[in-house]
Amino acid sequence: MFETIVPLLIDGLANAALIFLVAVGLTLVFSVLRVLNVAHGSFYSIGAYAAASLGLWVVGAGLPGWLTFVSLVLSAALVAVIVGPVIERTLIRWTYGKSEAVQILVTFGLFLILEDLQRIVFGVDSFYEDTPVQLLGSIEIGGVVYLTYQLVLILLAAALFVGLKLFIGHTRIGKLIAAVVADREISQAMGINTNRVFMIAFSLGVFLAALGGALTVPQAGVSPGLGADTMVLAFAVAAIGGLGKIEGAAVAAVIVALARVLTIYFAPELDAVAPYLVMLLVLLVRPYGLFGSATTRKI
Amino acid sequence: MISYRKILCSAVAAAALLVGPALAEEKPAALGVGVFSFTSGGTAAYGKPGRDAAELMIERINAKGGIGGVPLSATYVDEGQGTEGVIAEYRKLAGDAATQVMIAALSSGNCMALAPVSDQMKIPTVGWNCDTHQLYLKDAHPYFFRPNGNTVPEFVAYAAYLIAVKPDVKRIAIINPDYAFGHDAAKIFTSAIKAFKPDVEVVAELFPKLGAGTYQTEISRLTAARPDVIFSNLWGGDLENFVRQASPRGLFRSSQAVLALGESSMQNVQIPEGVIVGVLGDGWWMSPDAAANPETKEFADAYKAKYGKWPVFPAMKMANSFLYVQAAYEKAMAGNGGKWPTREEVAGAMKGSEVKTLTGTMQTRADNDGVVDQIIGVTAKADGHDGPVIGDMVRYKGADLMPPAGEDPIAWIGTLAADLPAKLPQPGSYK
Repeated sequence: MFETIVPLLIDGLANAALIFLVAVGLTLVFSVLRVLNVAHGSFYSIGAYAAASLGLWVVGAGLPGWLTFVSLVLSAALVAVIVGPVIERTLIRWTYGKSEAVQILVTFGLFLILEDLQRIVFGVDSFYEDTPVQLLGSIEIGGVVYLTYQLVLILLAAALFVGLKLFIGHTRIGKLIAAVVADREISQAMGINTNRVFMIAFSLGVFLAALGGALTVPQAGVSPGLGADTMVLAFAVAAIGGLGKIEGAAVAAVIVALARVLTIYFAPELDAVAPYLVMLLVLLVRPYGLFGSATTRKI
Repeated sequence: MISYRKILCSAVAAAALLVGPALAEEKPAALGVGVFSFTSGGTAAYGKPGRDAAELMIERINAKGGIGGVPLSATYVDEGQGTEGVIAEYRKLAGDAATQVMIAALSSGNCMALAPVSDQMKIPTVGWNCDTHQLYLKDAHPYFFRPNGNTVPEFVAYAAYLIAVKPDVKRIAIINPDYAFGHDAAKIFTSAIKAFKPDVEVVAELFPKLGAGTYQTEISRLTAARPDVIFSNLWGGDLENFVRQASPRGLFRSSQAVLALGESSMQNVQIPEGVIVGVLGDGWWMSPDAAANPETKEFADAYKAKYGKWPVFPAMKMANSFLYVQAAYEKAMAGNGGKWPTREEVAGAMKGSEVKTLTGTMQTRADNDGVVDQIIGVTAKADGHDGPVIGDMVRYKGADLMPPAGEDPIAWIGTLAADLPAKLPQPGSYK
């Protein structure tokens, strides 16, 4: 029994950790900006390419191996600082207040552009930089050898969840974001610079996606098409949890990851559809997601 | 009274009849070849060597005066665009008189889609890598040739090798890509193993999607299943990712791995020693037969000099396919008094042909499927070589593992005798 459950749990949580990072960024951007960003998966893959490139440079330059850990976070931060504000100011801002159809078309166009740009810049080969995995080694639990890195990922995602809650609830900018989420118009009336809040929230969303991509590099590498796969999964998780809900994204990530792991163990033919079956079941019972609620339309 | 107009029309018609065949026999300025492979996406790790080999073979053939004095000119098509795009490109090329032969395709799915189109457009096509046994199961394809062989001998060979080196195998696990190639291979390998050793149990069968990227959960599942043997026909970037993720987790230490397309990735990723690998045919550039052929050494050296790597088996399959096309043109020209052959004559020359290649012989059967030998061994280190090589090799005769034309291959595998692996050449016998 122990030998069956432990691998299921560890694999489920390790999967959930990466899914959570992408989905929480998507849900954060939606809650603040009210924009469903289809290009979110591209930030994940850009983060992965940036981390792989920086990591390979660190190793190639003969710098200490522990710097590859720094390079993972640094690359995500660089992507967020460079890409986030530019895209928010030039494209996303233009879609505020527009219909969902326009927002989806614009962000989908952005997704296509970013995917092609990645092919032009990074080519079609896979990138792989696994120094962090090598440095951390492996550990045997319940008769199965795991990468210690996988366990670190679980702890990192949990820490990030707590950090995000603290950031939103206990920092000035976090409270400003919460205020804008609660009521955009009253926030403006109270003197909050909502445009600045939008840019910060969007860049934070980009950072979370890029961090998810960066953290996946040491254990899985990066190749073309990564962004599209991730985006679809992130949408399913965000929908299950309830769009705009950080707790929802966390719980949904765990549910989806466990569903995938269970299917790989017991019904591998259902692996690809497992997240969407879960989404279907949840939305049939709770149309606004596990943590979502119906909102009153403002006139 | 015959009018002037009628005389003129008759003269033009007669001239057309006389000039038409003459034009067909005229040598073109260049022999257009459509070359299809994956050059983008994760699958490019496997497809790019094929494309590179095509480029090099064209250079080499043209340097020697081309085929019948006509230089080759290739149009390259990326199969990464999807089957619909591949069909559209194929139709466009086939409709152009300058393109006289196709070397298409890498993907079995694309070959299945292109075979009927080749018949419709009457253009000889060489399926250079696709190996699904389903290609000729239902319909005949008079213009589509697959000289590199099919999945049945390829995966029966692995089963025979495995039983020879590990006769006490009891539990096997499979991780193959989730499309026809992966499912077919699983079915063929399992059927063959059960024919040779009926008490073998399949303890896990996983089919991650093509391009999955991460296999951590699958690796846990495989480890937890405690198999004696793990069989996989993952390929390209998928295979490389799987090996990179499985190695540090000890998967290759706890089970005997069989990586059917392992040789194609040996220069890109460190496959541990002792893993059973092969080349889905005889296309191992370092095999004893290849080493004894000066042309192969020249090709391998030129490939290494041009692309920085040794030619993996997709490269050898492509190179051999060009030799196959060259042999067909030469045979067709010899048969029609040295005139430039039509597409029909080239297809006729391919039928039933036996062509010496860089690594062995390609025998084309009456159903246009090919028979080639199967080389299998284990990854090993060798002095004087900077990467792993294949040791303990065996070379099975293709005909010994090929089901007769028209017979249901899976049913045929079920009729194989349990002692067949013992009767075949033994591992280590090919030196």
